[in-house]
Amino acid sequence: MNKNDLKIIFFIIITAIMSIVLINLNDETGQIAHIYYMNKEVKTIDLSINNTYTVLGYNGEVKIEVKDRKIRVIEENSPLHLCSKQGYIFKSTETIICLPNKIVIKITDGNELDGVVG
Amino acid sequence: MDIKKIVRLAMFLSLAIVLSILESFIPIFNGMIPGLKLGLANIVILVILYLYGFKDAIYISILRVIMVGMLRTGLFSITFFFSFSGAILSIIMMTIFKKISLFSVVGVSIIGSIFHSIGQVIIAIFLLNTPNMIYYLPYLLLFAIPSGIITGLISKELINRMKDS
Repeated sequence: MNKNDLKIIFFIIITAIMSIVLINLNDETGQIAHIYYMNKEVKTIDLSINNTYTVLGYNGEVKIEVKDRKIRVIEENSPLHLCSKQGYIFKSTETIICLPNKIVIKITDGNELDGVVG
Repeated sequence: MDIKKIVRLAMFLSLAIVLSILESFIPIFNGMIPGLKLGLANIVILVILYLYGFKDAIYISILRVIMVGMLRTGLFSITFFFSFSGAILSIIMMTIFKKISLFSVVGVSIIGSIFHSIGQVIIAIFLLNTPNMIYYLPYLLLFAIPSGIITGLISKELINRMKDS
């Protein structure tokens, strides 16, 4: 490692930490979760109601749980189970992606124009 | 192309494939951040880049992505395009930064691992229509530093040992 390597390491660490701070300052707890299958919205979930939901993914059923305004995937059929390992998400900057099942879970605060425009 | 080089590249390719498959079984932070990987295959690509140059490195990298796609994730699946874009962008940037020759192998390796993440996030945003993926990029970049240093140090040793033989 030479001096320039250290410079670039330092530069990246500073940039990344600053971005993380900025993201955490601006994000907010979401109200609505949108479930997408192959880029199409298949379910809209109110995060204030504790419940479990099932949507159909590419490899079969995907079980989703809402608890205390947080959402997670509890059961899906995939080789590595990455999206159920990811655990709960609740911020509007967080996303759950189940690639093998082609399912994406996004969180919004509920008063976006998404529904009108898209 | 002499036979020694062909054999070496073939062995490098198989090594890269094995490393890619192996590292998909290594969970990092228990999967808290999507897309986090060690990037062990980058060792092979980096060594080829230094021993033989850009052309061979990009051939082997594309072949690796195609072979891993065929063996594990399925050819032309979303995951395939993630790896593909990450691999191409990282090789291009590593070649540029190697040419500038301000950085050592470790620095070039860090650049590669950073742009691997950036390439994947860009493709993820488009293919999954999820601009929110950008919020994971800083975490991926932070992790790219230690993984880039580790792969860089291993590559450096390999390059030094293989240069003369």
